Amino acid sequence: MAATVATPATPAELVPERCGSEEEARGEPEDGAPPPAAPGRPSRLPLARIKALMKTDPDVSLASQESVFIIAKATELFVEMIAKDALVYAQQGKRKTLQRKDLDNAIEAIDEFAFLEGTLD
Amino acid sequence: MAERPEDLNLPNAVISRIIKEALPDGVNVSKEARRAISQAASVFVLYATSCANNFAMKAKRKTLNAGDVLAAMEEMEFERFLQPLRDALEVYKKGQKGKKEVSEQKRRDREKKSDADDNKSREEEEEEEEEEEEEEQRMEEEPEAVAEEEEVEN
Repeated sequence: MAATVATPATPAELVPERCGSEEEARGEPEDGAPPPAAPGRPSRLPLARIKALMKTDPDVSLASQESVFIIAKATELFVEMIAKDALVYAQQGKRKTLQRKDLDNAIEAIDEFAFLEGTLD
Repeated sequence: MAERPEDLNLPNAVISRIIKEALPDGVNVSKEARRAISQAASVFVLYATSCANNFAMKAKRKTLNAGDVLAAMEEMEFERFLQPLRDALEVYKKGQKGKKEVSEQKRRDREKKSDADDNKSREEEEEEEEEEEEEEQRMEEEPEAVAEEEEVEN
């Protein structure tokens, strides 16, 4: 651990290469890809973007860093949930490709998604 | 021009990744479905924010906090999210605490080194930013190692 932080003997080499090799060591399939969203992991959604979205609400003045993080995390969970629920409809239609109509069906059928009705293009 | 909610989409790559990992192998997602999910996610953020903000206002607070968001999840009938969110919050709080200590130490080091060599310190900052990200993740597992570094560099 100390070794990686220690002396910047060859910073020029370390900066670009270490990025790639560190990710390979962790078994990452893509460059810059963060680890999976297990409950304990940091959010993959950019907090700055989430915060900007939150601030479009005129009633919101300030939001703590933690609250932004929790919303980001909840949004990840939401995406997972809606994708899985929509998949059920694709499978009913004997399809392996999730389509827009599967989303629409899920939104109509599932109470928790009622807030989405009429909001998507 | 002010940013409208519709303009602020979440990054496609991240959304796609989350979807892909939630679904079994061999399942594809059409572009339209992906776009719709991304839009839904933005709407979710707005709705959750509004809901959480109501709780903050009720408590006469101007700053939205994590508790407000958790209360909002319950209100929105996403109770299933509560436990994973609480767990994630714990980990996040620990990470933030360690990060603060480490970045303060690094700031002190940077000040020492910038006197020595201007070019080198710029590259170090880039390097240190990456290290901070890594350490954020490793922080939970190796708190002693961080403490050790501080001693060494002192």
